[in-house]
Amino acid sequence: MSEKQVIIDVGDGAAIPRPEDKGLLSAWWLSFLGTLAVLAYLLIFHPDPYLRLLKFLPDGIIVTFQVTIASICLALLLGLLAGLGRISRNRIVNLVASTYVEIIRGIPLLVQLFYIYFALGRIVRVPDMVAAIIALGFCYGAYMGEVFRAGIMSIDHGQTEASLSLGFNRSQTMRYVILPQAWRTILPPVGNEFIALLKDTSLVSIIAVSDILRRGREFASESFLYFETYTLIAIIYLLITLVLSKILSNVEQRLSHYERR
Amino acid sequence: MNVVDPIIQIEHVNTFFGSFQALTDVSLTVQPGEKVVVIGPSGSGKSTLLRTINRLEKISSGSIVVDGHALDDPSQDINKIREEVGMVFQSFNLFRHMTVLKNLTLAPVKLKKQQKSQAEKHAMELLAKVGVADKASSYPVQLSGGQQQRVAIARALAMNPAIMLFDEPTSALDPEMIGEVLDVMVTLAREGMTMVVVTHEMGFAREVADKVVFMDGGRILEIAPPGTFFDYPVHERTRTFLKQIL
Repeated sequence: MSEKQVIIDVGDGAAIPRPEDKGLLSAWWLSFLGTLAVLAYLLIFHPDPYLRLLKFLPDGIIVTFQVTIASICLALLLGLLAGLGRISRNRIVNLVASTYVEIIRGIPLLVQLFYIYFALGRIVRVPDMVAAIIALGFCYGAYMGEVFRAGIMSIDHGQTEASLSLGFNRSQTMRYVILPQAWRTILPPVGNEFIALLKDTSLVSIIAVSDILRRGREFASESFLYFETYTLIAIIYLLITLVLSKILSNVEQRLSHYERR
Repeated sequence: MNVVDPIIQIEHVNTFFGSFQALTDVSLTVQPGEKVVVIGPSGSGKSTLLRTINRLEKISSGSIVVDGHALDDPSQDINKIREEVGMVFQSFNLFRHMTVLKNLTLAPVKLKKQQKSQAEKHAMELLAKVGVADKASSYPVQLSGGQQQRVAIARALAMNPAIMLFDEPTSALDPEMIGEVLDVMVTLAREGMTMVVVTHEMGFAREVADKVVFMDGGRILEIAPPGTFFDYPVHERTRTFLKQIL
């Protein structure tokens, strides 16, 4: 009986600290406290321009979160469909899902962003933010599809057979038996993708979405304080990703309750 | 002579895995209430045969009729037929994300639309019957192998099946736990359940079986009542096998 949990490490988000990984856990505390200390130092001893800058940025932080959350929802939906499609026995469904994954994975996100922004612009006029969400959602959906597929495939085939033998059909089996178990395997890489996505939203500043980075650039181009601006922006991104990775690690612990004796 | 229609009728079944023939011209009938024990060396096709009965394995030719339903008839809902046929696996396959109680109530509630309270009451009776009522709120990983297998039997029984299939139910167990699972199976047999059991437990076969089926190389070589089978095996291959195993 293999009780060992499969860990899918996609590795383009921040590392999520697990309690058993002592090195990473202390690195998390060091980074977190260090960053807070630097932030406190800058705000207390150099309130100008840092405090002024900090007051200029909240709109951008909100936009960054809006884009991240909307994109991750789209990506999760597309990822689930792509993942199920990739393991489907229906050849056409399988081909469509696989082609989607192949195409999206072969194009840089920035290019996709431009492409959807301008291509979409030729057909319908959509707000910049919607174009950004669609581009990010479709891109991350493809990666998420692979995560879902791997998560579903990691569940022992005996679980499927037991479910079928009770009289469940394939979609009921997926819904009641496989996905609830796969979710736990899927969650860490999805968390990674979430954090990676949050960082990649900085790309949308190029297509006129007023996220953290774009707000910073506006500030810097008026004040010419480039170094100070990007220092603070780096600190803000780091704090957000550190807090998120900690939250995800806690959620992950909670979800694994039925694994422990 | 028994004039009741057989509950399982397997006729001239062939099964291929790619170019490998797993079953060759296999025919077997099981009467309601009959206990059939299938034995044979590993790779003989006995598990494959068992798995064709609820179509976890598809057959290439021949026919299988279960409780009046032809398995290859496209108008038959295989899921409905599977509700009638409980199956117990070598590796238990309990749903690991659910408590023992939830393992038993899931299918009755979702498929038979039973009330949750009614399903739970029935589940608790079954758990008491297999002797693990105190583990109702535990998760499968918290149980021993023997306990897990007894829960798996109870889970299959929760659907009130007409037939129970056992695929080497004690092969993954530590020796001291085999007895507790076999005891449950003997009780079930005494209550008149129709059972098809693939096993290496010859004591169980001798005690419980109405007929013993010996398979080798994807064929049924011999079918006989246990007394005849063990004491006067006809086939040379059967004699060699029994000599090795006993």
